[in-house]
Amino acid sequence: MDGWWKKNPYYVEFMVHEATALFVAAYAITLLFGLIRLGQGPEAWNGWLEAMQSPLSIIFHLALLAGFVYHTFTWFKLFPLTTPPIVINGKKLEPCAIVGGGWAAAIGAAVVSFVIVWGIAA
Amino acid sequence: MEIYKADVVIVGGGGSGLRAAIAVAESYPSLKIALVSKVYPMRSHTVAAEGGAAGIKRPDDSLDYHFHDTVGGGDWLCEQDVVEYFVKQAPIELTRLEHWGCPWSRTADGHVNVRPFGGMKIERTWFAADKSGFHILHTLFQTSIQFPSIKRFDEYFCIDLLEEDGRVQGVVAIEMATGEFTMIEGKSVILATGGAGRVFRESTLGGIVTGDGMALAFRHGVALRDMEFVQYHPTCMPITGLLFTEACRGEGGYLVNKDGYRYLQDYGLGPLQDKPKNKYMELGPRDRLSQAFWYEQQKGRTIEHPILGSVVHLDMRHLGEAYLHERLPLIYEMAETFMGIDPAKEPIPVRPGVHYTMGGVKVDGKCETSLPGLFAIGECASVGIHGANRLGSNSLTELVVFGKTAGDAALAHAKSVEPGNSASLLKQAQAAEQRVLALKTKTGGTERMSTIRKEMVKSMEDGCGIYRLEETMQQTCDKLSELRERFKNINLDDKTDVWNTDWLYAIELDYQLDVAQSMAHSAVNRKESRGAHQRLDGPDGAYKQRDDVNFLKHSEAYYVPGSAPRIAYGDVKITKSPPAARAYGAAGEKADQERKESHA
Amino acid sequence: MPEQKIIEIEVLRYLPEADQAPHSEVYKVPFTDDMSVLQGVQYIKDNLDGSLTFRWSCRMAICGSCGMMINGIPKLSCETFIRDYYPKRITVEALANFPIEKDLVVDLSGFIEKLESIQPYIIPKEPRTVEQGEYIQTPAQFAEYIQFTSCINCTLCYAACPQVGLDPDFIGPGAMALLHRYNMDSRDGGQAQRMELVASVEGVYNCGAVGYCSEVCPKKVNPGNAVNINKINAAKDYFLRFLSPKGGAK
Repeated sequence: MDGWWKKNPYYVEFMVHEATALFVAAYAITLLFGLIRLGQGPEAWNGWLEAMQSPLSIIFHLALLAGFVYHTFTWFKLFPLTTPPIVINGKKLEPCAIVGGGWAAAIGAAVVSFVIVWGIAA
Repeated sequence: MEIYKADVVIVGGGGSGLRAAIAVAESYPSLKIALVSKVYPMRSHTVAAEGGAAGIKRPDDSLDYHFHDTVGGGDWLCEQDVVEYFVKQAPIELTRLEHWGCPWSRTADGHVNVRPFGGMKIERTWFAADKSGFHILHTLFQTSIQFPSIKRFDEYFCIDLLEEDGRVQGVVAIEMATGEFTMIEGKSVILATGGAGRVFRESTLGGIVTGDGMALAFRHGVALRDMEFVQYHPTCMPITGLLFTEACRGEGGYLVNKDGYRYLQDYGLGPLQDKPKNKYMELGPRDRLSQAFWYEQQKGRTIEHPILGSVVHLDMRHLGEAYLHERLPLIYEMAETFMGIDPAKEPIPVRPGVHYTMGGVKVDGKCETSLPGLFAIGECASVGIHGANRLGSNSLTELVVFGKTAGDAALAHAKSVEPGNSASLLKQAQAAEQRVLALKTKTGGTERMSTIRKEMVKSMEDGCGIYRLEETMQQTCDKLSELRERFKNINLDDKTDVWNTDWLYAIELDYQLDVAQSMAHSAVNRKESRGAHQRLDGPDGAYKQRDDVNFLKHSEAYYVPGSAPRIAYGDVKITKSPPAARAYGAAGEKADQERKESHA
Repeated sequence: MPEQKIIEIEVLRYLPEADQAPHSEVYKVPFTDDMSVLQGVQYIKDNLDGSLTFRWSCRMAICGSCGMMINGIPKLSCETFIRDYYPKRITVEALANFPIEKDLVVDLSGFIEKLESIQPYIIPKEPRTVEQGEYIQTPAQFAEYIQFTSCINCTLCYAACPQVGLDPDFIGPGAMALLHRYNMDSRDGGQAQRMELVASVEGVYNCGAVGYCSEVCPKKVNPGNAVNINKINAAKDYFLRFLSPKGGAK
């Protein structure tokens, strides 16, 4: 069974999906590091903020964003597999409705977060 | 040779075999049951039945109605006492299936629903969408798993019955995965091997439907009864023969010819109805509908498709996509996958195809053959409920009603007799082994098996089709004799032991040739037209009519080694329905009315 | 007559009495556009090599016999059409994750044992006699389980499941869907008896939620859903034990 996941594009997608979970971990570590710097005083915090604005950091963030989007996309695709059936008016919700619902919730949450952050920043 | 000692041996793991096994296991758990099947039970051809199972359900229905529909549908060639028993047991057995988990389709208030079916006066067909056979089979198979006394021999191919002291005492089978032989002793043996329709070219049937049990009983001197009655189902997929269930019409589908005309109104099935009306138009019996197709073709009113050949259209567009998905999901899927047709948007091209063998191993009302200890059930048997034409949805019910009956009878028989002489049975089994092995190991043959099979199915279609003539039937009889000879000269590509299907198909072909001969010879000797046996010949066309004086009789084919079968005749049991004109549509309603008045 | 074209079908052959290991053979098969891959291999058996071995019967995707790996994907060969591959070569192999017995025939005994182990029959909640008539089942109760009754035991989901490949003891998607079918049936009261197996070493927690089982299922049973719902059910059972002496299965 060595290399089983290379035999089928479906498996490859699964493995890439699993791998992109590391991207989430990477971002969490980055934020954690920021938090440590914050605890070390204003100078350390400002240094971290500056580092975050470097071109390399921006490329790093874009790469993470791409990974997140892929992870989200493939995660929602698995919703019809993992969620218990949702019955509305005696009819089972169609798989595409379940996936659509996931996306609607994610986009909604992103917009709300964005508005809040924007409000604080302003 | 492996040896297994059972009390009851059942050959065939489809609906009737499983039902019989459960019957024995439930009432007498200490008896050992051997269930021998050449496929895993859930592959058996019961799986492909679509429309449903008949049993009275509605308050406006009655046992009498079901009885008269069945006897009239069978053109009075039914054993009427057996039909009476059958219609009475039907709702009981169908309810039992419900208790075992069969997902019958329901009404809004949670009761089992029924749908209309061809030739039935009242809606009485219990259905599980359009996968009724599939659900019945899986329900029975899964239910059977809880009984430890049922020992399954999955993928064991039965090659002979063991007969001693004038009674059947077991079977010999090949374990397909190894090619090794097993003798399975049993005080009772039930044949439940299904039909034989694969002797024809274009059929709705699976590859396994090769008449094995019929040939096994036949070779042991048991009669094959009413073999000339072969049902053509009117709505099949051209070329492949795959089935579009009668429920397509029960739910409201129309049959139209090339002019978009619902031609059935011209064949004694009218007047025209917008909504499905029982025993009218598209809900006429299968033999009449298939015959109407033949006439349309003669008149040049069928659609000539460049690839599919002559077809008519099954039009269900007016039923709407949602309804079709709910009631006929498998049909929808088949039309889309196999034909690229969306039945909600386009009509489906169809034509008749071979579907069912009304005849089979002759048994009495308790499913016992003339050979003590040997029972037969389901499509391989002729218990007498189908007569000359089976009504759709009676056969699934037959599986459970007579599965139970045969199980009980086989159990009683097994308890009443002593075990046989194992040593002498083994000798017989070894002789059978040598005979069958010789077919595999022999060299120097020049005939290819597939060639013989192709010639057989073509010849059966030519001679024993919807309409029959003396001359072509005789040609088929002659052809089959020729093929019997040529079969001796076949050569197999595969001489190995493990999973040798080349060899097993050859044994099946041998069975098929026997069964085909019994059909063709029974047909040429029946000089009348009745149900599915329709002739166009005779002096002044005399054979075009039903002839109750000479042929209100069962034909019985008996095996004659090395020669064509001998055809004899047996009486038909009439209890309360004397033969009458068989009428449908408005004429049928009028006849019903007259019968009622004469009774009053 | 429809135009006849030629397709190359490459079959993974294995004759246990002659071969050390499986090998490929290529056959040239004339076909018409209505022909399935099953009809293609039947042509080979009838005309080119009678020793080629495969299971088949109904030809209409309901008996579940004719599953094969077709160009690496588990499919029912009766409803897979040659025209969709032409002019490329078609490769046909025995279903993955099962031992091969001969050519395209695999050993299903392990699957059958799993099927038998899940108690796939009604264990009545309230026994009923025939005289009492049928159980009443509302449309909502019916909708709970009907999807999971559609499994034809074709084992394509087992061929699709990498976990079955890694651990042949995993109960697997098809049998688990059947188990779930009975648990969800309002007539059945056997859930507690079946949950032990669900939560066992062979049970649902083997599943890594790849989801390919549901993707290849020819009857849209979504067996992966049954497996994943039962991860939740088994977890619920586990925690309920701490809350109530009677809660959850044993």
